[in-house]
Amino acid sequence: MSETDVTPDTGSTATTTTAGESDERVREAWTEYRAAGQTKLSVDDLDVWYGDDHALKDVSMDIPSESVTALIGPSGCGKSTFLRCLNRMNDRIKAARVEGSVEFDGTEVYDPNANLVELRKRIGMVFQSPNPFPKSIRENISYGPRKHGDINKGLLARLFGRDDTEAEAELVERALKQAALWDEVNDRLDDNALGLSGGQQQRLCIARCLAVDPDVILMDEPASALDPIATSKIEDLVEELAEEYTVVIVTHNMQQAARISDQTAVFLTGGELIEYDDTEKIFENPESQRVEDYITGKFG
Amino acid sequence: MSEAYTHETAIISEGSNSYDRVLDGAIAISILAFATALLALIEIVPLDATGGELGSFLLSLFAAVSGAVGLTAVASWANVVPVTSQRVRGIAVSLVVTAGLLTAIAYAAAVNLATIFGLVLVVEALVIIGAGISSRLAIVDTEPDSSAGLLAGGAFAAVGLVVGGALGGSVVGFDSVLWLLTALVAGGGLGMVTILPREDIGSTLPVGLVVGTLGVAIATAAIGVGWQWNPETLSGGFTGGAVIPLFVLFGTLLSAWSAAKCRAGFGAQGREYGAFFVINLNALLMVSVMIAIVLFVAVKGAAYAIHGFSAGALTILVVLTPALALATEIARSPSGTGDWHPGAATLFRLTPLAATGAVAAVLTTVLVTGQALRYPFTYLIQVNRESEPLETAITITPEPAVGAVMLTLVGALMFVVLFRRYGSLRNVGATFPRAETVRQAVPAAVATVVLLLGAFVVVGSSPAGVPLGTTLGTAVVGAGGLAAVGLTALPVAGVLTRDGPLADRLQASAPLFTVGIFGALGLSIAVLFLQPTAGVAPSVLGVDIVPAAAVLAGLLCAVAAGAASYGARTTDESLQTRLLGEETVLGLTGAAGFVTLLGAHVLATGARFSVLGTAITTEGTFSWPMLMQAYIPLGAEPGGIMPAVVGTVWLVIGASLFALPLGVGAAVFLTEYAEQGRFTAVVEIATNALWSTPSIVFGLFGAAFLIPRLGGNESLLAGMLVLGFMLLPLVLITSRESILAVPDEYRDASAALGVSRWETIRSVVLPAAMPGVITGGILGIGRIAGETAPLILVLGSTLNATEPVKVLQGFRFVAQPPFIVNDQLLAASASLPTQVWAVIAAGVSGSPQMGWATAAILLSVVLTFYGLGITARTYFRRKLNYE
Repeated sequence: MSETDVTPDTGSTATTTTAGESDERVREAWTEYRAAGQTKLSVDDLDVWYGDDHALKDVSMDIPSESVTALIGPSGCGKSTFLRCLNRMNDRIKAARVEGSVEFDGTEVYDPNANLVELRKRIGMVFQSPNPFPKSIRENISYGPRKHGDINKGLLARLFGRDDTEAEAELVERALKQAALWDEVNDRLDDNALGLSGGQQQRLCIARCLAVDPDVILMDEPASALDPIATSKIEDLVEELAEEYTVVIVTHNMQQAARISDQTAVFLTGGELIEYDDTEKIFENPESQRVEDYITGKFG
Repeated sequence: MSEAYTHETAIISEGSNSYDRVLDGAIAISILAFATALLALIEIVPLDATGGELGSFLLSLFAAVSGAVGLTAVASWANVVPVTSQRVRGIAVSLVVTAGLLTAIAYAAAVNLATIFGLVLVVEALVIIGAGISSRLAIVDTEPDSSAGLLAGGAFAAVGLVVGGALGGSVVGFDSVLWLLTALVAGGGLGMVTILPREDIGSTLPVGLVVGTLGVAIATAAIGVGWQWNPETLSGGFTGGAVIPLFVLFGTLLSAWSAAKCRAGFGAQGREYGAFFVINLNALLMVSVMIAIVLFVAVKGAAYAIHGFSAGALTILVVLTPALALATEIARSPSGTGDWHPGAATLFRLTPLAATGAVAAVLTTVLVTGQALRYPFTYLIQVNRESEPLETAITITPEPAVGAVMLTLVGALMFVVLFRRYGSLRNVGATFPRAETVRQAVPAAVATVVLLLGAFVVVGSSPAGVPLGTTLGTAVVGAGGLAAVGLTALPVAGVLTRDGPLADRLQASAPLFTVGIFGALGLSIAVLFLQPTAGVAPSVLGVDIVPAAAVLAGLLCAVAAGAASYGARTTDESLQTRLLGEETVLGLTGAAGFVTLLGAHVLATGARFSVLGTAITTEGTFSWPMLMQAYIPLGAEPGGIMPAVVGTVWLVIGASLFALPLGVGAAVFLTEYAEQGRFTAVVEIATNALWSTPSIVFGLFGAAFLIPRLGGNESLLAGMLVLGFMLLPLVLITSRESILAVPDEYRDASAALGVSRWETIRSVVLPAAMPGVITGGILGIGRIAGETAPLILVLGSTLNATEPVKVLQGFRFVAQPPFIVNDQLLAASASLPTQVWAVIAAGVSGSPQMGWATAAILLSVVLTFYGLGITARTYFRRKLNYE
């Protein structure tokens, strides 16, 4: 396997040339991979460019529902780009151009007539650094439902007798309990969310995402800015969430991927998906030498 | 108290030696002389003052210093703001000692202030040189660097050049080249003395030389009060009166720097401490200049501005209500006193409440005894270029009447404040008999009254000669008023008819509170509007039904609030306490609402209403001639400036209404929607250019472009637009900056929740940017409120605007575009800045005092706008941070 003696990371073009016969064989293998369970998201030939930079190359994979799918790979390999494609967050970057198809429950996400609001309600996202709004804990949770008109509050609602204060209280309690935060904050729901610790803030962001009742939760390195204890809490939470939701999580931490995910996709430099399989298989007996090198720390 | 002082002085002497104490004294005397020189510069105290005059001035300075230091010491002792720094303590005590010393000298010796300044500088020089030498000889323990540094050397060389040149020039004259030589020698020498020796000499000896030279020159009267120097090359000259304070300011700044360096033992510490003093005294200088301007204007204008002020005690009592609410708020939740001594914190919390109570008691005494409070004073006006004294007084009258405007405003304010406090009483308490009937009947009754109101508006109060208004209208108004009273009686009745402990009864009556008070308020509002439309004023035994009903309803609400408040004290259950608290607030809200309705009724009908000997009138008992009287150009004294005040307020409102939405909207578009590129860059350059455009150019644009298109006359509208154009760029720039400063993460988070861009801007970005936007608005409004040049061109002559513009009454509907016209907006108006300009510069009033008074009022209007803005900014910031 001489072609795996890759040159050091010299950018996107260098690695495409090294992709030889063996990679083709590996590719055959994971393209055929079908994870157990119903397909939630089906990605087909997805390419992303940032200006002239080809950030994601021809990625196809099926993500099964009610499971944890981990995306791993070195920095700049396109895994976050891939994640942001799933709920069209890349639309917010002006230079980004997306080609290919993403189907969500059989509906094309990149349909020009697709309803972005509905899409992002059903595919929620948690970011790398905790980003609660500078509002109270309660308002952070109820922000989404309020903006979608599911909860009415305020003077006008009160005058028209449609005040949903109790519905809001229930929603806040449910979301915070799901995010395992309720016991820590239930006595200070009206305090500023920015006064919470980093780990609590991140769980609040997860609760905020759960409050709009999504099907899929995308997590972009949710624990990378947190200490080990907060990280383990987030990991427990992810495993719990997978019973009800489809979780796609980007992580740098290989142990984390091995611990919590059901299937793992490995991206390597150049925006290519190298291998996608059951997590056990990826970590114990990967098809590709490059993936094995990466996982054992010889590369990347 | 004396024990505390002993303790304080003990701490000072404990850790510091005589070297430290002498230097603390030098710093203190620098500060004192610096402040005094500032006062001398703006001629608050003359430089040639001697004996008793100087003594009394220094005595008041001594008293002020002692008071400040004493109060700080007490606060420190009470642990409010503990002062532990030895240096601060040393300087504080030295301030008192030196101020006392100077006072004693002034009384004992026949010297003038200039001489004292000179002596102070000489003493400073000696102390500093002495400190430097004792450090060099290692008598004291210091850590000096090897040199004071090139920067200090250069600075002292420059000082030496100037001082040497001036000295040489005045001795040998500027015709000879010798003066240049002395300048060079002095400059070079001073630079060398600074750079070459070790730091302790390098930063003391040159200071001592310079300060000492200045001091000797001033003390020996070589540069005395009467000293003058008129160089031929300059058109002006220098006089001792101006030069001596400047020399003292410079000398004390230098010696404070050097003494501070010595005190902290040179080295890095010394530089830090020295810089601290130079920067702080500089800041003091800036602040003093600002305060001096404000004081100067206020002192010159105050007497004229408040002549003939009078107010009814009852009116002041009404105005005091919001102050009472604020004081209660402070007493309930004191902010920022967490680490204070508990006693001091309690004092701080209760003082506003006690002060409000004291004022209220005095006013009540006035009301009860019928004795007016009168403070007579005299002020000078100029009539035909002659000063003439005019007797006037500030009066607080015992008249038992209150103005309807004041009552409505205060009532509405209190209603809003209390209603915001009121949370919810939903699903609390027991149902009451026929609850559903009442719940349906109240909206039905309100709807009936509103329908009738609509009918009267459409067909008139007596359609086809049928006196519907006087029959049906009277019946409905009467019934509505009585029903409102009945509804407000519900809470009290509910409490009285139930059994059990008071708190339980109150809790069970919660639905009666909400239905009764909100229902009565709704019904009363409808009736209030119906009455003038139907043209009736039903009365029983000579008392108008509607206002009487409002008074009764308000009293019943207050009784309910009182019962709830008392009930809350009788229970220990926290939930019940909270519920009864809500009931109290609701009762008070109702009372405030009915007071507002009462005022609005008198305003709407114009009929005076009196109850229990207290009258509510449309005239009111508040009179402030300067503010409330029309302007009398060139007429008999004293006139008012109401037109100018009203004009300025409308200008600011109009300009803000025009510029704030446009500016913020443009900022949102540029930051959130527009592609960052050439277009936004061009807009940015254009905005900055607009911001730096001279105001007179805006005025010319208004005069040449706007006025021909707005009716051809100078007008209020043109003024609003021109000021709006001036305000626009600053609002745009600051809004843009603060919107850009909102982290992108918030936008990402909101987008990921499926929230649209506009919703995100509205509920996340703008609230986070609001403090910055508000700050921009304040700065801009502060600038345009005092803008004169463009208004002279577009607003019209003050002489013609002797009556205030009536913008609100000026709106008329017409059947053709633009459908709404307002002649008042197109008429010329006065404004405070143009009035000041006209009175002082163009002399269109009988008294120049009026100009100063107008300037003082303009200043307070601008400061009020700043105050409002800062309050709003603090509010938004607190809301953002949940403080």
